[in-house]
Amino acid sequence: MDTATLLTDMLTAATSAAKGHATDLKNFIEARARLIAEGVTAIAADLLSGAITADDARFAFSEIREAEKTAILAVEATGQAAAQDAINAALAVASAAVNKAVGLAIL
Amino acid sequence: MNLPNPRWLRGLAILLLSLSLAGCAATFIAAYDEATDRLLTELTQRTETAVAKADSGQLPEAEREKFYAEAEGTVKTMEMRAGLYAKNEKEIAALAELGQRYRALRDRHAAPRTSLTTGLRATLLDLHQIEVAKKRSTAFSSGLKKSTTQ
Repeated sequence: MDTATLLTDMLTAATSAAKGHATDLKNFIEARARLIAEGVTAIAADLLSGAITADDARFAFSEIREAEKTAILAVEATGQAAAQDAINAALAVASAAVNKAVGLAIL
Repeated sequence: MNLPNPRWLRGLAILLLSLSLAGCAATFIAAYDEATDRLLTELTQRTETAVAKADSGQLPEAEREKFYAEAEGTVKTMEMRAGLYAKNEKEIAALAELGQRYRALRDRHAAPRTSLTTGLRATLLDLHQIEVAKKRSTAFSSGLKKSTTQ
């Protein structure tokens, strides 16, 4: 068994497994920024038109700040999922290499 | 001194490696739950409908209160389901926050206008991202299992 080749294959598999999550995360961050921008624009418009009060606007901003807690949770959960997939992809490559080396599907 | 046969040692090494690799698939996050994802999508749809109605002044008070009560009921249902899975702490914490966002609006007797619901809608989006990550990961894991059993 060639350790250097095995390591390269494991790293390639791990990187490839995490790539999909990275793309999802980028899309999520963009969508979230758009949502907040639209919300802040709506706050300004509603304040100007008198649809909401200054106290309502303070409440709305406070709720946006509170929502940052769940943004962090979403990013952390995505990180956990990406790490899980990367590690399992690398382990699958290692198992296949062992099976091939011994000539038996033992893993 | 009688040294062990090298072939016997090689066999033992393979056995130990087999045991360690076979038993150590990493699990950092709970499996994807389709029912939770469906409930979240329906809740988001109902919320967006209520927001559109409130923005156009077409959400009467009674309908608004019914919306908040039903939304909180849905969040409770999702919390119950989420609690059945191990390694689901992030989702459970996010659902608790989502319930808090609905309660804050209800307690204020606020119409769910776009301007007042940005925090709520952002939290819904955060939960959708958690579901997306879990769905991708669960699909990836089953793909790995299939490829290793073929």
